[in-house]
Amino acid sequence: MSDDARAAPDRWSGLRRLLGEPLLLALILLAALVLFVLPLGSVGRLALFATGGGSDAFVAALSSRSVQRALWHSLESSALAATLAAVVGGALGLLIGLSDLRGRVALSFAILMLIMIPPHVTAIAWMQMLGPSSVLLQALGMAPAPGTTNPLYSREGVIGLLALQQVPIVYLTMRAALRTLPRDLAEAARVNGAGPGRLLIRVILPLMAPAMLAGFALAFVSALGNFGVPALLGIPGRYVTLPVLMWQRLASSGPSVLVDMAVLAVLIGVLAVVAVSAQMRLTRAWSVALIGPPQQPLRLTLGRARRFVEVGLWAVLALVVLAPMLAMLATALVPTYGVRLSLQTATLDHFREVIFNQVVTVRAFANSAGLSIVAGAVVAGLALALGALQRGPFGGSARAVTTLAEIAYAVPGLVISVAFIIAFLKPLPGLGVSIYGTHWIILGAYLAAFLALGLKPVGVAYAALDPALEDAARVSGAAFWRRLWRIDAPLIAPAAASGAVLVMLTAWNEVTLSSILWARGTETLGTVIFNYEDGGYSTLASAMSIVSVLATLALMVLLHRVGRNLPPGIIPWRD
Amino acid sequence: MRRMILSTLAALTLSTAALADVTGNLVLYTSQPNEDAQKTVDAFMAANPGVTVEWVRDGTPKIMAKFRAELEAGAPQADVLLIADSVTMEGLKAEGLLMAHPDADISAYEPGIMDADKSWFATKLITTGIVYNTSAPVQPASYADLTAADVTAAFMMPSPLASGAATIHMVALTDVPELGWGFYETLAKQGAVADGGNGGVLKAVAGGEKLYGFLVDFLAIREAAKGAPVKFVFPTEGVSAVSEPVAILADTKNPDAAKAFVDFLISAPGQQLTADMGYLPAHPAIAPPEGFPARDTIKILPFDPAKALTDEAANKARFTEMFGG
Amino acid sequence: MSITLLNLSRRYGPARAVDTLSANIPTGCFFTVLGPSGCGKSTLLRLIAGLEPLDDGAIALEGRTVARPGLHVPPEARGVGVVFQSYALWPHMDVLSNVAFPIEAAGARRPAARTEAARHLQSVALSGFADRMPSQLSGGQRQRVALARCLAARARIVLMDEPLANLDPHLRIAMEEEMAAFHARAEATTLFITHDQREAMALSDLVAVMRSGRFEQIASPQELHDRPANAFVAGFIGRGVVLQAEVMVTAPGRAVLRLSPGLQVDARAESAKPGPAQVLLRPSDLRLDASGVSGRVLTCAYRGDHWEARVQVDTVAQPLLLSLWQRAAPGDVLTLAVSGGWVLPQD
Repeated sequence: MSDDARAAPDRWSGLRRLLGEPLLLALILLAALVLFVLPLGSVGRLALFATGGGSDAFVAALSSRSVQRALWHSLESSALAATLAAVVGGALGLLIGLSDLRGRVALSFAILMLIMIPPHVTAIAWMQMLGPSSVLLQALGMAPAPGTTNPLYSREGVIGLLALQQVPIVYLTMRAALRTLPRDLAEAARVNGAGPGRLLIRVILPLMAPAMLAGFALAFVSALGNFGVPALLGIPGRYVTLPVLMWQRLASSGPSVLVDMAVLAVLIGVLAVVAVSAQMRLTRAWSVALIGPPQQPLRLTLGRARRFVEVGLWAVLALVVLAPMLAMLATALVPTYGVRLSLQTATLDHFREVIFNQVVTVRAFANSAGLSIVAGAVVAGLALALGALQRGPFGGSARAVTTLAEIAYAVPGLVISVAFIIAFLKPLPGLGVSIYGTHWIILGAYLAAFLALGLKPVGVAYAALDPALEDAARVSGAAFWRRLWRIDAPLIAPAAASGAVLVMLTAWNEVTLSSILWARGTETLGTVIFNYEDGGYSTLASAMSIVSVLATLALMVLLHRVGRNLPPGIIPWRD
Repeated sequence: MRRMILSTLAALTLSTAALADVTGNLVLYTSQPNEDAQKTVDAFMAANPGVTVEWVRDGTPKIMAKFRAELEAGAPQADVLLIADSVTMEGLKAEGLLMAHPDADISAYEPGIMDADKSWFATKLITTGIVYNTSAPVQPASYADLTAADVTAAFMMPSPLASGAATIHMVALTDVPELGWGFYETLAKQGAVADGGNGGVLKAVAGGEKLYGFLVDFLAIREAAKGAPVKFVFPTEGVSAVSEPVAILADTKNPDAAKAFVDFLISAPGQQLTADMGYLPAHPAIAPPEGFPARDTIKILPFDPAKALTDEAANKARFTEMFGG
Repeated sequence: MSITLLNLSRRYGPARAVDTLSANIPTGCFFTVLGPSGCGKSTLLRLIAGLEPLDDGAIALEGRTVARPGLHVPPEARGVGVVFQSYALWPHMDVLSNVAFPIEAAGARRPAARTEAARHLQSVALSGFADRMPSQLSGGQRQRVALARCLAARARIVLMDEPLANLDPHLRIAMEEEMAAFHARAEATTLFITHDQREAMALSDLVAVMRSGRFEQIASPQELHDRPANAFVAGFIGRGVVLQAEVMVTAPGRAVLRLSPGLQVDARAESAKPGPAQVLLRPSDLRLDASGVSGRVLTCAYRGDHWEARVQVDTVAQPLLLSLWQRAAPGDVLTLAVSGGWVLPQD
């Protein structure tokens, strides 16, 4: 052994050491180049330097009436929706996080459904619930008169549904922040004579302000990038946002408008990144370092009001989650849109059509399932590798890649897909093949847009890991890959798996990225549902949405099971 | 008697197809509704078991945008186009993107509805007229009826930016002297909505969100037969018509299968399938489906494809100004 | 020399965790680094293990230079074993796999590695626990698994980072004996880090007292106690008081000092010169003596087998420490004599 050890430095100098961390770093940097630098860089290059780009193009874009209008609509809808979501989500977070309500996990799960049901499906469901042919409203005798435009086709409709979808984001940030609130603080306030009201106003709310702000900013950015809601409600309501304007132009005109698209992409991308970094600064400036370990959260007793609060919450959740789904189910069951649902008219034809007959829907289910599973697995792998590199001598590079991933996550999905078209439309140099129109371009866009989602839980898990475990493996003689495989991978696996499931859920539900990247053979669930609805085939769209929501629920239940042994904070709805 | 002729024709076509013995993959880009596209493809594949057809469906302008993007990427996917209007086909032909099919048998068809160079072939006759919800207070009979303020307020049309048939409808209507652009102007001013494709209009009118609309005939007639509360009207001024032409792309990787597909569509069995799906077939010998008036009673508005092609961009811009993007 | 440290430095920003530190640790030695928390002793261990890069100086293990500016042999190639304060047992592997890991890392096949690992488990009397998970073990058992893993690495140099700190006090004594047995069995050079002087005294051949990134003194436990090199070591090791005094007369190995007018002491010394000096008085240097000087008891604390009183003698600047066999109350007046002391070497 000692002879071996003596010979070691010669073996270690040179190739073998390069095959460890440097090799992985090179692979990660290559991935970052392909996923982030190349696409986002090409958008910038096209917008700033191409013929027809540059400052003139920005001036022209900003002075165009339709762009001005879309920009204003984007800002207005995101800001108002985020404000509404901050109020409602913040209140829900405080109520559920600080009180002795029963069934908190189930409540959280139900609130999370608001974001787990994709925007375009939510929009379809609500349209059907509130339109003149709404089964629900007809039964209540409250249906709008025939000839009435759907009330959701309006500024208020867009903002309302956007706000509803962002509620879980604020709710989650509040719950996470409340979990770190030392119980002592609240108890000290109560011992010093503060009643629940004073406690809330003087102690808890000021401490929660940074979380509230973070939630608001996240909701703002998420609403800014939302495509499904403004596309399906805003186009008929003449309330077009910037991502929708980009999609309309690109979908109807093709690559001849790429330079204009790049200019718009840079505009909205910069807006999103500015919003996120402003939030980070403000949060840092506002936050007070909390001393003491997180403890069992505070449970204020609601007393006799508890029953009423519980019933009220569940009733509202049923109205905003369940009722639209039932309306959509009703549409999926009638022979053609506009026919009233009854035992005589009900038919499963549309389900048969989307599950068995339509080649494209079968393909879309397969594509979305395959793409989301692969994206989830690759993200888990990348997150594992990035986490391992972050501790080592290349930590700086790894953190830079993480930052890129966070920027890509903040930027609206449509910008990512435009970026991928611009970067990868032309055949790849040297290969002569273009990945445009293949699964690869969609997979790439998923990885770029969702990597940050998978990095979060893995980052938490790495931070919670005793660094001595890694050191022990090093001094036991294990080189980088052995450590990664035998020590890090098994220990991080549960967190990586839950990150992978989050990515899978998001990819399964997305429409923004694939809406302009899909081609023959690479249709995704989202694009098919969206195109059915956009083309007027509401019954098929509804049937497909129902199937996809059921699949989403199944995935969430799976995640719930997987997450049983994970540290708190990784599965969003668990306490 | 007619049935006998048909079955003979069918046998004839089938044997020709069998002789050619085509195989391989074929990619179809179409603007047909999903269910119809699926049925068409299934019937063709049943007749040509060696060929596997994959298809993509979107509105004509959108499917063309996708086609252009793929062309730009150097990886055109489509072998065959089956889209709403011949104007787009003329444009593609002028660019040299289409492949002629000189052996195609078009003897049964009226001269003039097919391309003389056999670059594209009409497959059916799709007219655009007026649809209304059966609960609507007014039953419009002409375009002029639509300019009543309360009618216009509940009126919707497919956007020429999303539908090829709507483009032709716009060109044909604005050429009618007593209507012209002033007619569209009036509609826009009184709050008419132009959005999406024909499917969207059907959904809005059937669902009662709108009561009146421009719509292609087959959608309205077919869905009414299924129980949807809609009725189709051939307005007194006339209807616009598109022929939903099919064409082979010059870049096709499987010209034999593409030709077989074209042959199938314009064959008598293919045309019978068209009628069975609820379309007015282009073949004069095939009877129109139920719900359609006799073909010679339909008044079709005149239309100049060459002029339409040159004016396309200007027309769309003018429309967008009125109704918004 | 098994471990050679030469002018070793490690900086974190402006702070120097290890500051131009040099030492030679002989082969087979049980060498303890003793110091207060934050003195840099853990950093020193991590530098030797290769878990941190050095900024300056050099480290040689068994005569082979493993680190100097421009050279950093990674930990996996240094052949040192480390026992961590948290034991760092991999929670996803059972006991046997934990112990077999270093053998596998050295290139052995899994079955062979497991056979060998079982032998090492036997030597720490944990044979029956091979398929337990670390979470199912007690603190002492975990400690023994960590030791077995270290044995399995067959390292010639073993570094221990406060391995007993997380154990209950009563378990600590038992484990100290195991440590000594382990050291004997492994025949390795052991570098042991602790802040507990009792541990250091009980286990070590040599103890280095560390402060602010430097070694203040390297000596055997007895010498550290009896002949501390400076006031810091004197204060850190054992009980005692350091006083200012005046050297009156010197002789080889001895010196007579005046603590105050009328209080003189004959102390051990090394190279003391007449003039002002510091003298260390341990409780064992003082005794009750009716003919001595009188002082007043300030406090009196029970130390387990005796009482320790802080006694103020009027003419002496600081209270002195005195061992008593029975309790004295604050305010009591005692007479005492100073029978010895140690004159701290002068710089």
